Amino acid sequence: MMNPTIELNGLEVQLGGRTILHGLTGVLKSRAIGLLGLNGAGKSTLINTLLGFHSPSKGSARILGLNSHTNGKALRSLVGYMPENDAFISKMSGVRFVRYMAEISGLPPDQAMERAHEAFVYVGLGEARYRPVGTYSLGMKQLAKLAQAIAHGPKVLILDEPTNGMDPPARQRLIELIREIREANDICLLLSAHLLRDVEETCDEVLILRNGQIASICNLVEERRANRKFLELETVGAEATFTSTLEGLGCECAVFTNGRIKVVMPDSVEIREVFKVAADRGVQIRRMNHRRDSLEDIFLNAMEQTGAADGRI
Amino acid sequence: MAVYKRRYTPYTGSLTPEWSRFFVLTRYALADLFNSRFFVLLLVLSLVPCLFFAGYIFIANNKTVQLLLPMGPADMFSVEARFFTIVMIVQTQAAFLLNCWVGPVLIAGDLTNGALPLFLSRPFGRADYVLGKLAVLGLLLSAATWVPCLLLFTLQAGLAKDGWIWSHLWMVVPIVLCSAIWILMLSLISLAVSAWVKLRIVATGVVFILFFIPAGVGEMFNSIMGTYWGRLLNFSYMFRLILAKGFRGPSVRLLGSLDWNEIPIPAAWGVLVFVCLLSLLILDARLRAREAVRG
Repeated sequence: MMNPTIELNGLEVQLGGRTILHGLTGVLKSRAIGLLGLNGAGKSTLINTLLGFHSPSKGSARILGLNSHTNGKALRSLVGYMPENDAFISKMSGVRFVRYMAEISGLPPDQAMERAHEAFVYVGLGEARYRPVGTYSLGMKQLAKLAQAIAHGPKVLILDEPTNGMDPPARQRLIELIREIREANDICLLLSAHLLRDVEETCDEVLILRNGQIASICNLVEERRANRKFLELETVGAEATFTSTLEGLGCECAVFTNGRIKVVMPDSVEIREVFKVAADRGVQIRRMNHRRDSLEDIFLNAMEQTGAADGRI
Repeated sequence: MAVYKRRYTPYTGSLTPEWSRFFVLTRYALADLFNSRFFVLLLVLSLVPCLFFAGYIFIANNKTVQLLLPMGPADMFSVEARFFTIVMIVQTQAAFLLNCWVGPVLIAGDLTNGALPLFLSRPFGRADYVLGKLAVLGLLLSAATWVPCLLLFTLQAGLAKDGWIWSHLWMVVPIVLCSAIWILMLSLISLAVSAWVKLRIVATGVVFILFFIPAGVGEMFNSIMGTYWGRLLNFSYMFRLILAKGFRGPSVRLLGSLDWNEIPIPAAWGVLVFVCLLSLLILDARLRAREAVRG
């Protein structure tokens, strides 16, 4: 049986005398995992703990079955890491920098050189690869960091705020790259981001942190599937027979004032069948909102629930 | 990840042995250093005294040349323990200058650019990192200390007759061992400074200060208290004590103020070990992928 991508078992991390992560427990099985949370929620601490930079004071964290604390080296041999902050060697040319990092990961010099060139071209910095990294723009530095993270062909790619400081086209290009890397290979992705859209576009599962605790673990694929046929209707002339007919098709209906109806439809029912029933019953559908729970809803809901649990919201 | 396909592919080739990866740091650092003309000049200058020493050895072993020199009795040219002690002292000072230029940039650059997380997120530990940086200084300072000393020893052995090599072979041990002690101490001090001070000029200044200011303070302490224990703060002096002991002390009387009865040799060893341990502690505290802020 395949190991879960990330397994947290009562993980507690203390830094500088403060508890940053409070007994996180959860299993994330998807290949692309998003890490969300407000500033100071503990996202970067969790990533640093997974990389073995911080030792857990209690519990454990595992990536692909490898304990971050006791199997740190073995774990890091599988990982490509793109840090949030500036991290490069400014006087080196881009390609030399990536080659250097690939060699430290264990690639022989000739292979490292080849992969460094390929990685640079792949991320779209081919033209700038001989320029010192220190002269790159912020967006280019982000791409160079991505290049060094993938050059040695990791099995797990950890990206900490990868789109920070990027303009919209560059951001879109980076997101496409990440999606491409994820889809083309047997690679696991852990992406920490502030932009919900980044996570929504690249991840299958999301771990939401709040004040160092897990606010929610949500499988986006299942959520999307579950909410695929969530309809909000504004109708004129709808009578009980309309909703009962829909219920007869397997839908769940909730009727509100002013002809507003909420319909949760099973997989077997298509939207056109709702139109057909409405036409048969002489019901006018003035407005239809075919809406999925977006990640934003899930995120806000998680924040609200944990906030309520804390007695703060 | 072929360029023409513009697709990501995982790496499936062979990997280098884990134990050898620290040397990647050394290789890259040396390549960067040798790109600097100033560094090459400094390295060459540090070897210039060896040319004079080699000339001395040549003259000492060539009666014809000695007769041509208007310098008094020919037996003033002797290549014994005293000669090699002087060579060692000169070369260790040259190594000190080399270290002051090279050492302070080795870690500071990585810290300034926030590159440590990149190194440490790989199967590469802090010990590997320090080892890689130490190897840079180890190789360079070796090239200025025990390697030329051994070459001079070999030259003398080749030119001298009557089994000189067998009666002087013991000197190989102090040459290598004392150089190793000096190199290790210098390297650890400058790496510790490099991990603490990010500006090159300041870091170089701090390395100088660490060697000269405590020595001055120690002498002041000696003057005021009428003692000699203040010399424990003079690292160069402690090293010279060990060096002189290695070369069977009494034969090296010309080394100025060395007095055997002042500081015991174990105390000198203790100082050097303490300095090395302190440097390692500083490195341990500073070389972190992420800093935890207290509060």
